[in-house]
Amino acid sequence: MKLKTTAGLIASLLGAALIAAPAQAQDARIALLGGISGPIAAMAPPMIAASELAVKQVNEQGGIGNGGTLRHVVGDSACNPQNATDAATKAVNIDRVIGIVGPHCSGAVLAAANSVAVPAGVLMITPSGTSPQITAIDDKDLVFRTVPSDDYQGRALARTIKERGMAKVAVAYLNNDYGKGLAESFKAEFEALGGEIAGYSAHEDGKASYRSDLAQLARGGADTLVIFDYGDGTGLTLLRQALENNFFTNYVGADGMKSDAVIRELGADNLETFFTSAPVGEASESLENFRAAFSAAGGNPDAIFTTTAYDAAFLMALAIEKAGGDRAKLSESLRAVASAPGEPILPGEWAKAKQLIAEGKDIDYKGAAGDHEFNQAGDVAGNYAFFKVSGDTYEAIADMK
Amino acid sequence: MELIGLANYAIFMGILIGIYALLSLALNIQWGFTGLFNAGVAGFFAIGAYTSAILTSTPALNRMGGFEWPILLGWAAAMLVAAMIAWPIGKICLRFRSDYLAIATIGVAEIFRLIIKSEDWLTGGSRGITGIPRPFGDLPYVQSQLAYLALVVIAVLVVYLLVERQLKAPWGRMMRAIRDNEAAAAAMGKQVEARRLQAFIFGSAIMGLAGALFVHFNRSITPEAIDPMIATFLIWIMLILGGSGNNRGAILGAAVIWIIWSVSELLTDRLPTEVAIQAKYIRIFIIGLMLQLVLRFRPEGILPEERKRNPVGPG
Repeated sequence: MKLKTTAGLIASLLGAALIAAPAQAQDARIALLGGISGPIAAMAPPMIAASELAVKQVNEQGGIGNGGTLRHVVGDSACNPQNATDAATKAVNIDRVIGIVGPHCSGAVLAAANSVAVPAGVLMITPSGTSPQITAIDDKDLVFRTVPSDDYQGRALARTIKERGMAKVAVAYLNNDYGKGLAESFKAEFEALGGEIAGYSAHEDGKASYRSDLAQLARGGADTLVIFDYGDGTGLTLLRQALENNFFTNYVGADGMKSDAVIRELGADNLETFFTSAPVGEASESLENFRAAFSAAGGNPDAIFTTTAYDAAFLMALAIEKAGGDRAKLSESLRAVASAPGEPILPGEWAKAKQLIAEGKDIDYKGAAGDHEFNQAGDVAGNYAFFKVSGDTYEAIADMK
Repeated sequence: MELIGLANYAIFMGILIGIYALLSLALNIQWGFTGLFNAGVAGFFAIGAYTSAILTSTPALNRMGGFEWPILLGWAAAMLVAAMIAWPIGKICLRFRSDYLAIATIGVAEIFRLIIKSEDWLTGGSRGITGIPRPFGDLPYVQSQLAYLALVVIAVLVVYLLVERQLKAPWGRMMRAIRDNEAAAAAMGKQVEARRLQAFIFGSAIMGLAGALFVHFNRSITPEAIDPMIATFLIWIMLILGGSGNNRGAILGAAVIWIIWSVSELLTDRLPTEVAIQAKYIRIFIIGLMLQLVLRFRPEGILPEERKRNPVGPG
């Protein structure tokens, strides 16, 4: 009895949903999955809006294939695996999407990829899943991302400072996901390059004094202190106390330390040997294109991950166009449209891309967040630069490879 | 039209409903039959999930484990470890009554969550564990899901039958006696403390099994999956709505809540996009509203506890 009622309930609700959504043959459908409810609820709507901007541009400039429309559904992955797999299953089976942009959180990406997208053969591009675990998914070349792995910045920073002659360093990191992830990847790369880590310790947030931690780190004889922390918080205290006591000569931080509070509180005069790494949306025409279009559409282009969310959706559309809507060819097409060589395509240039694809020419999408040359695992290299303090602000002094 | 798609979606829902039904059944043993207010379901779910993940996954560099045990052994270990951890916790916490017990168990679950988040060597920290095998995972999409559904259904059925059997036995009547009038039960010579501990351990082991079934389905686990909202309170709502004290009610509650949760999104997606994003919150509202209505008009749940006036058999 109960089973019948349940089945009847499911059937009637699904029936209602289906009647309302007739799919047209030449249309292509994609899903935008995001953490709409849940811990990143404040970040998700601008990201979804950026992806929707890409969809809108596609449809305004000729759509998909021969007169088809790019349609999208928005799913709530809520930043947890339970809802992410649920939303992905609905997108794949009910809405019949051929590609998924999202989900936003790493745990959601892992679950949705492993239990839905990969088995079902659906292409997935996440704009903000930064966990190194995503690299390792056995994904049949179906899982990509437009944001660099957390691993990347730590490793790039290790290479950069080793190259600049700092060979013996001490590392102080905040004991959370951010600090720990960076510290681990930094350490692995730095040691592989033959550098020496003369001190390595975690510190807890919000203590009044870190002098004993610093003294301990300095004992190893390092001349450089690498800080993985936030310049608005504990990192500032740590840096101030290290400078006051002259524990080290050079100070290096990652993007969290690149904060105006550091210059304001400590003074540029005292920060001549302070450097940070930080991502740069390559000051490019691509970024300008996106900023102008997104502002015009009422969005805030400075909101976090909007550039990667836009690029993920635009790349998805390019891949669909290139593959002629054939889901089996999608990942191969994605690699083709994203990688050099080819005619450069900037954000918003859908009509041009469409024409070039129709002529059978190779294209290379240069996104708002970067060039997006996918590697074997579907990851992208980040664009990071090395900054020093100059006057009241930070000045980029070198690109980080 | 897309019958395969519909079937696929229904299979997926069946799997998640099955996993939640196990949790709900386990909570029913603790709350429905023994009156233990366990607000730390997520903790035992997590222990089972991580135990099986560590034992059965492929080896990884940065953490312990990856022993590649057979999956069934992993599940058994999940139940065993959850039970073993429940024992000392029960020993300490079960001296508290109702709301105090709830607070203590929330605290315990939070401790587990933080341990899982910080002890990288054991659990992979915030990056979690991947490379967990799924039984029949090599089959094509539909067949693989179907096979997993079969496993989950078998697990739910076995647990349901065993729990029903146990509760119809004198043990079940004793538990109800303890729940309804502890002093009287004690006066009849029942060992109240030991029995309450038994129920707590029994329920926790089943929660561990549900956790194990969940990780093998997703082939991965991260701390996001053990958020109290989705792994504790949702289960309480399922049990209260379905009818605490009734095992079929516990399963029905899991089905009703999950179907509302999942299907309502399909309906709100038909709205224009500007509204659709806001409308996602409506499902949270609907579930809250249903809980209010049930508590107001049918506090015993959809399928209330069956009370037999004259129980047959030896008392």
